[in-house]
Amino acid sequence: MNSPLDSTILFQIGPVPITQAIVTTWAIMAILVIGAFALTRRLELRPSRRQATLELMVTTLDTQITETTGAAPTAYRGFIGTLFLFILVANWSSLVPGIDPPTTKLETDAALAVLVFLSVIWFGIRAGGVGGWLKSFAAPNPVMIPLNILQSLTRVFSMFVRLFGNVMSGVFVIGIVASLAGLLVPIPLMALDLLTGLVQAYIFAVLAMVFITSAVEDGTPNSAKIDLTPKKKDT
Amino acid sequence: MTLDWWGLGLQAINVLILVWLLSRVFWRPVAAAITRRQDAAQVMLEEGKTAQAKADAALAEVAETRAGLAAEREAILAEAKATADTAGKAALKDAQTKADALIAAARTAIDRDRNTARKENATRAAELSVEIAARLLGRFNTPAVQATFLAQLVEAIAEMSASDRAALIASADGTEIVTATDPEDAERAKIEKAVKDALGGTPSVRLVTDPDLIAGLELRSGHFVLHNSWRADLENILKEVENAA
Repeated sequence: MNSPLDSTILFQIGPVPITQAIVTTWAIMAILVIGAFALTRRLELRPSRRQATLELMVTTLDTQITETTGAAPTAYRGFIGTLFLFILVANWSSLVPGIDPPTTKLETDAALAVLVFLSVIWFGIRAGGVGGWLKSFAAPNPVMIPLNILQSLTRVFSMFVRLFGNVMSGVFVIGIVASLAGLLVPIPLMALDLLTGLVQAYIFAVLAMVFITSAVEDGTPNSAKIDLTPKKKDT
Repeated sequence: MTLDWWGLGLQAINVLILVWLLSRVFWRPVAAAITRRQDAAQVMLEEGKTAQAKADAALAEVAETRAGLAAEREAILAEAKATADTAGKAALKDAQTKADALIAAARTAIDRDRNTARKENATRAAELSVEIAARLLGRFNTPAVQATFLAQLVEAIAEMSASDRAALIASADGTEIVTATDPEDAERAKIEKAVKDALGGTPSVRLVTDPDLIAGLELRSGHFVLHNSWRADLENILKEVENAA
């Protein structure tokens, strides 16, 4: 079997190699977007069972964001929720025969980590300005500046490696077991892989949320700290 | 192990696009639906509170109106009771007055009836007494009694004025000597003789029998009657009794 670290290039667009992970990502994107569009076409004031399920998902995500960070969920819902959904669907795509989850590839996990890194900067600057964001590195005192800079890199790197390692190892183990005993034996491992995929998606999303909130809080002046109390109409 | 930087960039762009798309087609619509429902619920809650407040106000108004009605009812009842009491007392008084008048009238009527009855009873009693006396006296119509009556008749004729005797003698249709029983001839002659002697002259007399006299002798002409019998005496007594009653 091929090394899980290798990427299969399907075709080339100019200098850009299009790997199987990218194509799978496009397929996941299409499924998610089309599915979301189909599910949210007719949202009524009196919800159907389908709408109630969707609202339960959104409400649960909002609750998680609020409980994890204490911040209002509106600004972060789209990014954090999409991260969670994408990673979850990508992880569970291993159930489809012949499909390698995109999260088993370094590029995908690295891209997600880079996005989290950039989003921390984006949300930090948006909340407290460039000065506030830079000041967040001096928290709790300027001595911590080098350590904070190092931490901002390493924590994102750890996220990337954690996700990659867990998903890739799961798929790798299932591949090995399937090559040894192809019938029924891999099923428990696949079930375990489903759980691992869910947990990793959750951990990635929660950590991203914590990092973003940390940057926002540290960069905001004391007098203008964000309101950690959930507002009534926040959704 | 190599890192495909093109792949990394493409995946980052892919995820960014996905974030943008899902925000537009999933997160925002669903969140907006939740917000819309919360707003609607809030509006309904406010409307419910307003309706509740209106209902409370209406209830208070109804309670106040009901209290007013109750007070008005009490006043009307009290007034009606007072009116009824007054009317009742007036009716009672009127009835009492009428009853007193009726009682007085009845008493008067009773007294009148009683007096009338008493008079009637007295009259009847007197008449009965007279009748009893007449029957009793009828049993004592003896020759001695007859002789006594004859003597009294002769004496009464003697006490008459001379003009009355002359008028009696000159009476065209004659003079009747009325007796209670039909006397025997001797007795009859005796009576006629005594009367003619008492009258004097030659009067035309004839003897008539009338059992109503009970006992006695009476002298009758066309315009003159000389009562001399127990019947006449009893009638006199009866008149006196009636006059006395």
